[in-house]
Amino acid sequence: MSTPIATHAFTELPAALEFLKRTRWELRLLRRVHIYVDRIRIIDVNGDYFELHNVGYPDAPAVELLRGVNTAFDPLTLADPVDGEYKEFFTGRCVAWAADRLM
Amino acid sequence: MAIASPTLPSLNDVTEKDPFNNNCYGTLVDRPYKPVQLPVLDVNDFNERIIRGYEEGYAENELPADLSLARSLIPAGTASLRDFSYIAPEIPKYLPENCTGCMDCVTECPDTAILGKVLGEDEWEQKLADVPEADREMFKAQWSRTKKYYEGGKKKAGGVGGVFNIIIDPTKCKGCAECVTVCDDNALKMIAKSDEVMTDIRKSHRHFKNMGPSNEKYISGNLLIDMMLKESTHIYTGGAGSCAGCGEGTALRMMCAAVGSKHGEDWGIVAATGCNTVYTSTYPYNPYLVPWTNSLFENAPTYAIGVRMKWDQMGWNKKPLWVIGGDGAMYDIGFQALSRMFLSGMNIKVLVLDTQVYSNTGGQASTASFTGQNTKMSVHGKTVFGKQERRKEIAQIAMMHPHVYVAQTTAAHINHFYKAILGAMEYDGPALVACYTTCQPEHGVADNMAGEQARLAVDTRAFPLVIHDPRAGDTLKKRVSLMGNPNMKGDWFVNPKTNQEVTFIDFARSEGRFTKHFDKDGNPSETMLYAKQDRLENWHLLQELAGLR
Repeated sequence: MSTPIATHAFTELPAALEFLKRTRWELRLLRRVHIYVDRIRIIDVNGDYFELHNVGYPDAPAVELLRGVNTAFDPLTLADPVDGEYKEFFTGRCVAWAADRLM
Repeated sequence: MAIASPTLPSLNDVTEKDPFNNNCYGTLVDRPYKPVQLPVLDVNDFNERIIRGYEEGYAENELPADLSLARSLIPAGTASLRDFSYIAPEIPKYLPENCTGCMDCVTECPDTAILGKVLGEDEWEQKLADVPEADREMFKAQWSRTKKYYEGGKKKAGGVGGVFNIIIDPTKCKGCAECVTVCDDNALKMIAKSDEVMTDIRKSHRHFKNMGPSNEKYISGNLLIDMMLKESTHIYTGGAGSCAGCGEGTALRMMCAAVGSKHGEDWGIVAATGCNTVYTSTYPYNPYLVPWTNSLFENAPTYAIGVRMKWDQMGWNKKPLWVIGGDGAMYDIGFQALSRMFLSGMNIKVLVLDTQVYSNTGGQASTASFTGQNTKMSVHGKTVFGKQERRKEIAQIAMMHPHVYVAQTTAAHINHFYKAILGAMEYDGPALVACYTTCQPEHGVADNMAGEQARLAVDTRAFPLVIHDPRAGDTLKKRVSLMGNPNMKGDWFVNPKTNQEVTFIDFARSEGRFTKHFDKDGNPSETMLYAKQDRLENWHLLQELAGLR
């Protein structure tokens, strides 16, 4: 888990969302997100990850970025400071009633 | 018309389609078909003719109607012959250098598809000599010298350490990645299937079975987590038709392992209609190696009363009898039968697979559904915001019946679960073990999340761990234990990393069934706040019963 599979230097939200959409398929089942003051790490079940730089939990665009990978988090407290190095959230929420599983 | 042919090799042996005989009876070692002394069921004919028809895809068009179907009979363990190797694009790969031998992956697999074995280093080296030279180095490299079995084993076995192996059964794995998720040591990862990968996995699985059983010198009787190193605990074989990652599958096979560790295959099951009966008796596949029967949705506990009475008449008083049902069967439609069974005082044990929804019929609300849950009988819309009633608590209701052992647990809390099952077994009377189980499609969570969601359900007071043991004393305070829950004396668990309370709202945010209760800014709905209060009040009641409040 030392080198990200892909990285993106954040400048504007649409480009970052496009990066997430594009690189999502290079990872396996997403498992968790580590969000730091200045970067976001999206980690899959194997521990592989990709990383967005220059954006972190204090920044407003982080809310949309976490939503972009279906993260379970509270947007109202996302920007609150934390004692540790990063905040950790799970991903993996899906659509209920198997609506996203139809063949 | 297809008939069993004496010229075809047995499905339990090497065949053209199954060149390494992965698809066969026996979990850790090979075993023959399990015969029965019934004039109306020919196990060999069933397995060789009918199962072959389904495995080779001509059953529907070519097999004639048969008497075993008319009689609703399926031999034991036929799911062992079922091949699921084609359904998932990925499969786990074992990284022995990282493994600690914790056995979490083996225990939590819903499909008996990841298997463990420990052998003394000397016998292991001898047995490796029997592995074809072309495969020997590949197979040898898959064994690990863990501190637990190698260093610890030296003390137990005269200085000879135990070497440990994890193997994937390629015909049973559905690729859910639950094993990779529960591994804290990065000793498993998902890889893409290819012809080369699958050939190596098929060969390795074959060599693993040929190595014989684990050496019991290296299995600690004190470690419940190690019980699946013994063949006698694999009562629930792979090959059941449950969804990938099904939380129920893990609970069922752990229950079977715990009972099997004490009674082998000398016990039985009465199942209430539901998802569990569908995926464990989809004709012609049966994963159980013990007698199993299913009548209706609503009558399993009373049906079990009849079985118990007959067994007792036959002098089989010590033979355990388990009833299995979902929340629909036990909280709702068979609730009266369950209550009646408790009052009978009979030695019958009940495992409730609580998915909080009618999973089999597509996601209708049950009385176990959480407040606010979006179900097909409580659709979240403009006027009704998901289920508006509170959740029924089967554990509390059961413990108010006289002299009933009760546990509420999850398969992710492995020791708590095993102790709950063994406690129920040791209790001479009726017992109920209610188990939180995910239903991935209906809850709206990924296939690898059964364990994580079960742990979150406990941490957020959605589904607290409870034991009520009538033998523990003459007051509820003495009988009820909340051991295993975080922050037992407080309201909510506080995450030490963030210093934030972890509440039912956090649980709800993580599952698709509650998504509509959060606005675009992430604010929970009034119904969600009501559900949070409901869970807190339920927790307070449990604290009161346990003398903690």
